[in-house]
This record gives sequence, structure tokens and C-alpha cells, in this order.
Amino acid sequence: MTTTATKTTRFIDTELLSDLKRFGAADVSACFSCGTCTAICPLVDNDSTFPRRIIRYAQVGMRDELLSSKELWTCYQCGLCSDSCPTEADPSEFMAAARRYAIASYEPTGLARILYTRPVVGSFIAAAVAAFFAVFMYASHGPQDGASLALFEFIPEGLIHWTGVAVMVALALAGVFGITSMARRVARSEGVSLATLFGGRAQLSKAGKALWSALGIESLGQRRYREDCKDDNPVEPLYRRRWLIHALTIWGFLGLFSATILDWGLALIGVKETGTPIPLWYPSRLIGTIAGIALVYGVSMFMINRLRQVNRAAQFTTASDWLLLVLLWITGATGFFIEVALYLPNAPAWGYWIFLFHVAVAMELMLLLPFTKFAHAMYRPVALFFYALAADKSKQTV
Amino acid sequence: MSEQPDASTSEQADAGTSEQADPGKSGDRRIGVFICHCGGNISDYVDVAKVRDALKDEPDVVVSETTLFACSDGTQQEMVAAIQEKKLDGLVVASCSPKLHQITFQGVSKRADLNPYSYTQVNVREQCSWAHTDDHEGATEKAIGLVRAGVAKTRLSTPLEPLVVKTLPKTMVVGGGVAGLRAAVGLADIGLGVVIVERASALGGWVAELGPMYPNEHSGREQIDFLIAEVAKRPSITVLTDAELVSKSGSFGNYITEVRVKGSHSQMVTAEVGTIVVATGFDTYEPEVGEFGYGIDGVVTLPEFTKLVDSSKGPLIYKGKQVRTIAYVYCVGNRQPAGGNEYCSKFCCAATVHASLKIAKRDSELRQYHLHRDIRTYGKFELMYSESRERGSVYMKFPDETPPSVAKMADGRLAVTVVDTQTGNEELTLPADLVVLVTGMVPRQNQGLTSVLKLPVGVDGFYNEIHPKLRPVETVVAGVMIAGACQSPKTLSESVASGLAAVTQSAGILLKGFAELDPLVATVDIAACAGCTDTCLASCPYDAITAVDTDGRKVAEISAAVCKGCGGCVPVCPEDAIDLLGYTDAQMRASIDSLSLVKEPVA
Ligand code: HEM
Ligand code: SF4
Ligand code: SF4
Repeated sequence: MTTTATKTTRFIDTELLSDLKRFGAADVSACFSCGTCTAICPLVDNDSTFPRRIIRYAQVGMRDELLSSKELWTCYQCGLCSDSCPTEADPSEFMAAARRYAIASYEPTGLARILYTRPVVGSFIAAAVAAFFAVFMYASHGPQDGASLALFEFIPEGLIHWTGVAVMVALALAGVFGITSMARRVARSEGVSLATLFGGRAQLSKAGKALWSALGIESLGQRRYREDCKDDNPVEPLYRRRWLIHALTIWGFLGLFSATILDWGLALIGVKETGTPIPLWYPSRLIGTIAGIALVYGVSMFMINRLRQVNRAAQFTTASDWLLLVLLWITGATGFFIEVALYLPNAPAWGYWIFLFHVAVAMELMLLLPFTKFAHAMYRPVALFFYALAADKSKQTV
Repeated sequence: MSEQPDASTSEQADAGTSEQADPGKSGDRRIGVFICHCGGNISDYVDVAKVRDALKDEPDVVVSETTLFACSDGTQQEMVAAIQEKKLDGLVVASCSPKLHQITFQGVSKRADLNPYSYTQVNVREQCSWAHTDDHEGATEKAIGLVRAGVAKTRLSTPLEPLVVKTLPKTMVVGGGVAGLRAAVGLADIGLGVVIVERASALGGWVAELGPMYPNEHSGREQIDFLIAEVAKRPSITVLTDAELVSKSGSFGNYITEVRVKGSHSQMVTAEVGTIVVATGFDTYEPEVGEFGYGIDGVVTLPEFTKLVDSSKGPLIYKGKQVRTIAYVYCVGNRQPAGGNEYCSKFCCAATVHASLKIAKRDSELRQYHLHRDIRTYGKFELMYSESRERGSVYMKFPDETPPSVAKMADGRLAVTVVDTQTGNEELTLPADLVVLVTGMVPRQNQGLTSVLKLPVGVDGFYNEIHPKLRPVETVVAGVMIAGACQSPKTLSESVASGLAAVTQSAGILLKGFAELDPLVATVDIAACAGCTDTCLASCPYDAITAVDTDGRKVAEISAAVCKGCGGCVPVCPEDAIDLLGYTDAQMRASIDSLSLVKEPVA
């Protein structure tokens, strides 16, 4: 009587839903697949059937299908679906939980899972990583000049530089692993192969366009977030719109990041030494200042929204949500304090400590990127790339 | 012999028709003919005035009129008046099918103190106007012929009175399951004697084996024990267990039954009863080996599963191992393609969902997958279904063309392949520890009883009622009712309800103490009967004819109470000694003769 089940079928993972619940999935058992959520979703197009179908994957236990769905990431959590679900299954929160689950599944260390599902251990790890960087760098500290703020005498520039490089390498490795792990799954389920991307001139140009749409139009330009997300009912003033808050966060973060690189680049080509006092209008300083304002504004608004639970996206909070917000906020805010300290006379001592704190937290932010909510910054563009490819495909067949 | 009273009513004596010495002779009857327009349905194609005129001169016809709507209240009143004023002793209405309005115009006759069997309905709508829309003249001619035939039949009619039979205030209930027990209690409570005949050695049937049931979680056993206690409280109920009904004779309201009671020594018990309620229940479907993996260790049927659930506590253990995943395959043995069991068993969805809820409450970590074609937890069972989903049961509808399959995996678990219509057509494999085949009901094998009672069996093998909606518990065998799942798959509450419906129906027959039967029965002219009897005895499907000795001569005798008036015996008698009252040979012959007159041109 013993036969092996045919290899072509996919095995149901009977534990999938209970596992997803650890990531905060609302009780989607109530969902009866009516599809109201799909009908109402402003981001559903190209025959996609999310969030209903993704919920169904979770109910049944179709783990592979769930993790290879680009649709997980084409949801921007406006919450309209949850408002209209007749069974109150809270599909939008489910989508968020499924993304958390995906972040934890695409990376092999299990760190993301701990950060999401075990708040106490997670907070401890977060504190420990920051403390590690601080202690590690403080171990090689120099004197605190009392006349002017000589930050790189306090913490040697080379140490920061090489620690930074090490963190970026770790981030790149983990990032590439995660992105590959996700992209391979999505590609398989979308029927996209290397040949479809690089097989010839036409393929290449199509892939190029999709890449531009994903990175340029959607990630930097935030087009769909801005135009298609109907989260403005009742109409929020512009400064409170989710897309703008988010765009300012992204641009702020990227601005700060490029200011840092620029500062270092200027030193590299010998224009100026890092750490030399510069006026406010100096390009790297100016970019940094504006970006810092944008980032701190965006992240603060996100934090206020979360505290007030103003929308569906802010209603349910995991410790890991706060981790990203707090790390971003500290990175942005401490940058300001350093700037203030730089222009104050007599180099206040707190300036040095804030600097140490800033560097440690920024390092942690980057190191933990693939393991926190921040990972969406790398997975969303991948999904949007496949989304653009598919959209293009359907345009051609019509 | 017939208990038919042969004296006419006094009213008819007034009309001068009490004596009908020569039925063929005309001139001594007063017949009224009404031809209906049916608002154009008839008159658009049949020239009703012509029919009226043609009938005017017919012998014995004293009234010949057309009406716009014969069935309308006003016209009915006019007919009553005409019958009384003109002292009519026969009525013919040429209108629609007797199926529609025979009873209406018999009622008109009764209200005018005219014997209803002196009424004849002629169908000139379905048979003339509707059938011959292209030939108005032909349709008219045919109508005239048919009405003449109706008049000829009426001319020879004799007033008949319903047959009154005394009935026995006692009912036999065959089957001591929940429907039978509840019926027995109900019958006893309205004052009828009851005999319960149960084939098994104990009362209770299937329900007695069931654990807690929806919605109040009383066990099947408790509910049966309650009914058995109620039965015991009522001395008018006799319970025979290990017993089988082996013969039935007698007539409507007066059946003589024999019951074989097994025991240390078998004995025959005779019971005389007025009605019989058959509540013999169902059997459960037994899958074929290999059907959805039946036969593989770990594949069980619904009854096996509910027993397993109800006989244990805590997480479910099967053969020493804790069950962590259950797959239910619904509609096994039900809703099969044509030729199989095409029906739905109604209870199984609810029973399965309920059992799965019970076990879910005991083990919140248990994973349950319900592979179904539709979930039919109708009515209040819907709440159970919702609760089940909320507790995490997964419902997967598979397409009819791709049913699930079950196989054993190398690790000893079961692999159930299934296609989920809500995600796509990809085949999925569900690893499960236990597979429950949700088996439904099948008709019980009961050849003996079926032939003793001559019960009508449907193509699905369940007993048939007369009318599924309006006469749901009566069978074509008068005085024999069906209740519970022997009729069709039913839930417990539906079975009980139909048991109680059978109580009402029995009460309707038996509480008056007598019953009126249709007098349209066959009679034997003893003088003409040659006593050959074999042919007529064999021809009667109801065993109404017996051979008796009259003055030392063997003749056939027909029990008017048993006879259904089918007329099957009339043509087989070589001596033409049998006549069907209301449709006598003389009446039919006269009708045919007057039909043939139509050959002559109509004036
Ligand atoms: C440097 C890059 C990015 C940064 C710093 C960033 C930052 C953030 C932050 C802080 C939140 C959290 C809001 C909260 O917790 O209340 C967030 C949410 C969100 N981000 Fe980004 N993001 C980045 C890239 C992207 C990209 C490329 C997309 C693609 C369109 C995107 C789409 C979203 C969406 C839709 C949400 C709201 C739903 C959610 O909370 O998951 N982000 N982002
Ligand atoms: S989540 Fe709600 S709206 Fe969406 S399919 Fe399920 S029940 Fe319907
Ligand atoms: S939260 Fe908004 S974007 Fe996401 S699935 Fe629901 S309706 Fe669509």
C-alpha cells in the first residue's frame, strides 16, 4: 500500500498559518475568500488577486506560493481592504504580517525572526549591538579637544572608516543573499528566467525599463504611493499624507547617506579633510542638513502616527517597527546635535558622546537593515521590478 | 361483497329516478349540460354555441347552456339553482380536465343535493380546443361527440354513496429508532394504541450510538433514553424487539398483521391495527476498498470517526499515536454521477463539522482540512460552520472533475492530493495523520418488509411518498405511512418531524373511528360468475379478490374496502361478471356508441 506521493505536487505546510500568527497576522481564519478586499484595493491591477489569494495561501498552507508572491510587496497598506472586509479578517494587517514573515524567511540567520517574534530578546539584541559598536570604538578613543570639536581625534577616523566598510560588506552580503533568495522565488513563479531578461536586445531594453520603473519611478519617485493609494479619506493636509512623510523619510535617509559618502569622497580627492570645520553652505553639509530635517520630520510623523494609531498601517505595532523608527530617528537627530555642537564655542563634551552614539547607531541601522522592517527598502524594489515586467508583458500581448 | 348501499337517496326519489329498470332507455332522466368558454381558451376554437344547440335536442337533456367561466363562483351558484329548479338528476360540464375541476363540480352537485356520482366532466379544452387549434370545425365536432358520450354515461349513472368502514384505533410502528419512538409517543398521547416492531434486540437505532449532538450537546444516547422512558410510561404502547413484520392482510383501517418475534423459541404475534407507520431508517455507506484510500490504515469513515471522538478525551489518539492533522473528504458515496447515489445525505456536512469542532475544542493545535464539493450546513448549522472556520478549520473546495486521492507515504503518514479551486488548478499534497471519509446514508436493505407492505421504492432505493411536498408521509398503500430516513436522507430533527407528521396523518384516519372510501369499486355479479377465479384473483394488484363459497358454489368476492377501483379485473373476466361502479360496462358502451353518432353530419 505504500506509495510515494507524486513529486510534481506541492506539499501543504500545515503550520504556516500558526507561524504567520507569530508575526502578527490578524485572524484570517475568518476569511471566506469573497474577494471584496481585492475588489476594493486601489493597487490591484494586471489580474492580480491580492490580498485574497495571499490570505488563501496562508490558510491552506501554501508556503512557497506565499513567499514567491510579488504581490506581498505591491500592497502599501492603505487599509481600505480591512475597512471593507465582511468577516473583519483584517487583510491589510495580514499583508503586513506576511511581509514580516517574508523578511524573516528570505534571510537564513533567524535574526529577523527573533527581532519580530521575541520582543524582549530582540530589544536586548538591539541594545547590545549598539553597545558593542560604542564600546568597540571607544576602546581606541583619543583625547576630547576642549577648544574645537575634534571628533576624529576622539574616535580615530580610520577606525570609523574601516568599521563602516566592514558593516557595509556585511550588509551587502546579507542583502544580496536576501534579494537573491526572494528574486529567485518570484522569478520562478512569474516564469521569468535569465534568458527573458538578458536574452537579447529587446529583452534587455525591457528589463532596463522595468528596472527604471522600479528604482526610479516607484522607489525614488514613489509614484503609486502618491497617486494610487487612496488613504486620503478624509483628506489629510499634504504635510500629513502618508506618501509625503514616507518620501521625506526616504529622501532624507538617502540624502544623509550621500552626504556622508560625499564628505568621505571629498577627503579622498584631497579637497578637504573630514572633520575640518566647514560653513553651513558647504555642499556636503548643506545636503546633510536638509536631508536630516527631512528624515527627522518623516520619522517623527511616523512615530506620532504610530502612537496615535491614526491609520490601519499604524494600528498594530511590533517591537521591530519601533526598532526601525527609533534607529532612524536617533541617527537623524543625533546628526543635528553634532552639527549644533560643531558651531558652538568651546566644544561641549556632550558633543563627543553624541557623536559616539550617532556612529554606533548608524552602524547598527545599516548592519541590521536586512533583518528589520528596513528590509522592505530592498525587497519592495525587487517586487516592483517584477511588477513592471509583468505589466509590460500584458501590454504587449494585448 | 360490496357494502355499497343500493338504495337511492330520498331526494333523487323525488326527482323520480329511484328506479332505473332499463338503463339504456332514454326519456326518464333530467340532465343538465353546461359548456364552458373558459374565457376563450375553449370558445376561440370550439363553437360552443353549436355544441349547446347540438346537445339541446339530445334525449334526457333538459338544460343546455354555455358559460363564460363554469368554475366561477357565480356560475357555480347558477348551476346549483338550475339543478334545483329544473329538478336535474344528472350533470355534465364540458370544460377542462377532470384533474382540475372534477371535485369542484362534484361539490356543485352536492350543494344542489344531487349525488356527486351523477356528475360527468367532459374535457373539451385539453382534448379539443387546445389540441386542434388548426381545425375549428373538427374541434367542434369532436366536442359534440365527447359531450354526447358524457351525457350517455350520465344517463346510466346510479347514485353512489361513500363506503364507510370502521377503523381500529391502533397503529403499528415498524422501526424503533428516533422517528419511530417519537411517533409512538405521539400516537399514544392522542389516544391510539401502538405496537412498536423493532428488528434489533434493543430500541434506539443509529441515534443511540451517537455522542453529544448540536446544538445543545445532548448525546444521541440521552435523547433515545429519554424517548424509551417516555414509551415505558405509556401502557398503550407495546414494544416488540427482535421482531419482524411478516404478513399483512385485511383492509384499510383494519389490517391484520403477523409479527415474528425471535427469542429462545420463535413465536408469531398477531396484531390488528388501523394504520402502519414505517420508520425503518437507513444504512451508512460503506466505501469500496481503494475508494479514497479506504482500506489504508488511517482512513476511516464518518461513523468510525465520530465514535473515535466520542469515546475519548483530550487530543485525538489513533492507534497509539496523536493525530495532528486530519483531512476530511466530503460527499463519499453521495452526489455521485448518474447511476450512483445521486442524492445528498443532508446530515453529513453538519455531523462532520460538529465532530471536528468537538475535537478542535480539545486540541487547539490540531490542524483540520475539510476537502469538500460544497458545505451544506444549512439553517442553524451555519453557525457551527462559522465557528469551525474561526477556530482554524480550513475548507477547500475541490472541482468535481478532480476529486482528492489518498495514498500512504514512506514515513507512514497519509498523503492526500487535492486541488483548491480558490487558489488555482495546481495539485497540492496534504500530509495527514487521519483521513475521514464523510460517508452518507444509503437505503436499508429491507426486501421482506417492502414486499409484505407493497411499499413503493424510488430509483434511489428509498421509500416513496405520494407527494413530496403536500403528502409527504403517505404512501400509495392506504393507511401505510413512512417516516424518518427510510423515505430519504434526513437529519435527526427532520426525522422526528416526519414521525410526528405520520402521527397526525394516522390521527386523521383513526380518531373518527371510521373512514369514508371512494365507492368507485369493482363488484361481482354472483349470478354470472362461473367461479373460475384464477384469472381475476391474479389480476388484482391489491389482493382484493378472494374465492368464497356461496350456496355451495365457488364464486369470486371483491372486498370494497381493499379494492382501489383500478378496474384491472374487469376485462379479464371471461364471463363479463365484474363491473366497476361509476364506470360500468353499460355506461362505457353507451358512451362509445353515442360518440360514433358524430359520423353523421352535424345539424
Ligand atoms: C531608503 C529607503 C527607505 C526608507 C528609509 C524607508 C522608511 C520607511 C519607514 C520608516 C517606514 C515605516 C513607517 C511606520 O513604521 O509607520 C516605511 C514604510 C513603508 N515603506 Fe518605506 N522606506 C524606504 C524605501 C521604500 C521603498 C523603496 C518603498 C517602495 C515603494 C517603500 C514603501 C513603503 C511602504 C508602502 C510603507 C508602509 C507600509 C509598511 O509599513 O510596511 N519604502 N518606510
Ligand atoms: S479578507 Fe475579507 S474581504 Fe478579503 S476575501 Fe477574505 S473575507 Fe473577503
Ligand atoms: S492594504 Fe490597501 S494596498 Fe494593501 S491589499 Fe489592502 S487595499 Fe490593497
